[in-house]
Amino acid sequence: MSETEPDSQVELLAGALVDANDQLLALYELTSITADSLDEREVVTRLLDRAKTLLNADALVFEAVATYSVGDREPVEYLTTARHHQPVGQSVVLTATCIDASGETATVSALRRRAEFGTADAKLLDAVATMLSSAVTTARMHQAAVEQAVMASDHETASHLAQSALPRWLPALPGADLFARSEPARSAGGDLYCYEVIDAVLYFAVGDVSGKGLPAALMMTNVISASKAAFHRHGSEGSAAVLRAVDLWMHRPLSDAGMFATLIVGSFDPASRRLQLSNAGHSPVLLSCDGVLEPLLAQHPPVGVLPLPDPDVFTEELSVGDQLIVASDGITEQLGGDGGMFGDDRLAALVKSNTAMSAAELGATVFDRVELFAGAAPQGDDRTLFIVRAADDTQAAEAA
Amino acid sequence: MNIIPTVSEIELQGRFDAHEAESFREIVDGILANSASLSVVLTAVDFVDSTALAELVRAMKRCREAGGDLILVKPSDPVRVILELTRLDAAFTIT
Repeated sequence: MSETEPDSQVELLAGALVDANDQLLALYELTSITADSLDEREVVTRLLDRAKTLLNADALVFEAVATYSVGDREPVEYLTTARHHQPVGQSVVLTATCIDASGETATVSALRRRAEFGTADAKLLDAVATMLSSAVTTARMHQAAVEQAVMASDHETASHLAQSALPRWLPALPGADLFARSEPARSAGGDLYCYEVIDAVLYFAVGDVSGKGLPAALMMTNVISASKAAFHRHGSEGSAAVLRAVDLWMHRPLSDAGMFATLIVGSFDPASRRLQLSNAGHSPVLLSCDGVLEPLLAQHPPVGVLPLPDPDVFTEELSVGDQLIVASDGITEQLGGDGGMFGDDRLAALVKSNTAMSAAELGATVFDRVELFAGAAPQGDDRTLFIVRAADDTQAAEAA
Repeated sequence: MNIIPTVSEIELQGRFDAHEAESFREIVDGILANSASLSVVLTAVDFVDSTALAELVRAMKRCREAGGDLILVKPSDPVRVILELTRLDAAFTIT
């Protein structure tokens, strides 16, 4: 045994301790990088760059769902394209593999031209592979969360825009007392109402596009546009001409989308108090004349089911106090706490017992009663109510 | 050889609404891949909403495009009322 042997062992031990300390410092540096950024390319490139320095390697390549590399072109090309060939010259390759959170294999390879990799290098590369895989998973989860948030924001904006197609203000039309309100079950819905006053005559449409949410709402905006255009082009020809025009424009888009729209269109001329209606599948529609309440049934299937024949027309001369009430099924089909529906009968009774109310008072009362009936039950569908009440000029002016 | 088209039949029970529409569509599409006609028994259905009606309309159009028809069989009173209120009874073949 030589005398220098103990010193040699101390040197080896010291060297091992230094190596272990270096590894700890290296891991600390690498961990700091993963905590700095959520951008996949940035964090992977920085990790590879730092690992290349710590490993004293000439190139590193990380292959997972995407491939990233650092180092000179030649060794990188060697790692990515020609690993199955023998290394050129003294180059050696060290590879570490791990399985990421989604079960995909991720591999990191290091190439060194000058010397062999040691055991410590292999351990460090294992740690680098795990960190890279974890960083990519975290960055992708973050990116997915960001995209989801953007999509939700876009959905909210689109819903708001679709709902803004509904008129916000009622026209001040002497001789007509009006109420209109729509409350979508979600941020947007398929219920619709719209109106235009043309030559002192009120033209209106109330409907419900099948389905729920944004798809129904987007189609709803098209039905409103078609209805308004039909008021202007065909309003003077009567409600049948308006409904025919809307059907002509909207049948195909609705049918192609697998949707339909119940739609009642009509006009009310305050001068003659003449009410005219054409109804494609919409319900419930109630007419209150001299205190007698009559349900008006649809004359045709909804728009988008089959091309409409020449639409029928319902005409009535109203007296002051008579009113037309058009609701959507979201009102009558609202479930209560006991599981029963609000129902057509309850709506009819409510209208019948409040015939002296103005359109605004009756409308607010109906919404309040439906909400009261629902109790803790969620709103099942869009709720829409449109009321036209024949009034003398004084009443209408007061209501306006 | 004579090829005789067959009419498939499915029966629905309970509420038929937006929550059931997707599974209904999958089943119907599978049937209509091999048949031009379909009978839908609605005797035990206690409610249909507009989304469900749209699915029935869609299936009816697909059947008719293929030379067949969708037949609504013995709809329950609540379903019949909705079909009448919306005048969809004029569009469907109902037995």
